[in-house]
Amino acid sequence: MLTSTVLAMTHAGYVAAGWIATFGLLGGYAATTIRKGRRLSQVVPPEERRWS
Amino acid sequence: MTTTPTEASPAAAPATSTASPLTRVLGTLSVVGVLLAGWLGLSASPRDVVQKDSVRLMYVHVPAVTWMYVAVFLCAFASFMWLRKRTDGWDVLAASAAEIATLLTGLGLFTGSVWGRPTWGVYWVWDARLTSTAILFVLLLGYQALRRYPAEPEARSRMAAVLGLLLVPNAAIVHFSVDWWRSLHQDATVSRIDVSIEGLMLFTLAVSFVVMGIVCSWLLVHRFRVGWLERQAERHHLDAALADRRADADPSAGVAVGGPR
Repeated sequence: MLTSTVLAMTHAGYVAAGWIATFGLLGGYAATTIRKGRRLSQVVPPEERRWS
Repeated sequence: MTTTPTEASPAAAPATSTASPLTRVLGTLSVVGVLLAGWLGLSASPRDVVQKDSVRLMYVHVPAVTWMYVAVFLCAFASFMWLRKRTDGWDVLAASAAEIATLLTGLGLFTGSVWGRPTWGVYWVWDARLTSTAILFVLLLGYQALRRYPAEPEARSRMAAVLGLLLVPNAAIVHFSVDWWRSLHQDATVSRIDVSIEGLMLFTLAVSFVVMGIVCSWLLVHRFRVGWLERQAERHHLDAALADRRADADPSAGVAVGGPR
């Protein structure tokens, strides 16, 4: 439904590019950071992970 | 074959990630917020009379740039505190905030550029606001390169802290550039009491701003913890290497007989 709403817009390509870039980049950064955190957590003792 | 979880098994071990109850709350709010902001920004809010639907780029551009300022100032504050206290926490916070500031500055430039094309007719002009933002982005990229430079950690942190402090005057130039010079870029829209947009558009912008803040806070907490883990992992790696060297040099280990003098 949202896709058809966006396609019906004027300047749809610009709007889609801006929104996809924003949340795509933030989502990709979040995924990379979380994955890196999981990998590093394997090699650091639990007592040094103050949040766990 | 089935196994029963014991105290030593993975099932009983502490969570092996950077997640905590705080990040789970922030993460859930982020996902819900992004969906809400998406619906408001792309569907519920009205199109602008002049800009038509391209005004919907405001809901990602303005929050990204606003939180960019916050991230830059946080980086500068943490850099200042590191220069005073010299503790790992401030250094990791400065590095984390700078990484998020880099991301948001890049997003601000990109979304501004794609908004500029239908509004101004061009993707880019060498305008005071755009040029100063591009300079800030280059400085932030330089900061990232400096953080990855293979140098002595204390010296690297000191250079990064100085650069972190130098980001503030540049961010101030970015902000005031539209007042100081004639600019194609519009003046600040919502930083004054008499805001020039209203109704559902203003509400959508406010929601997008809050959502971007929650997403950035969530990312900052995770990024800080990753930075902290990197420090601890380096320390453990160094300790293990030193222990190996000592074991190699220990005559009781049966090595180093007739070694170099």
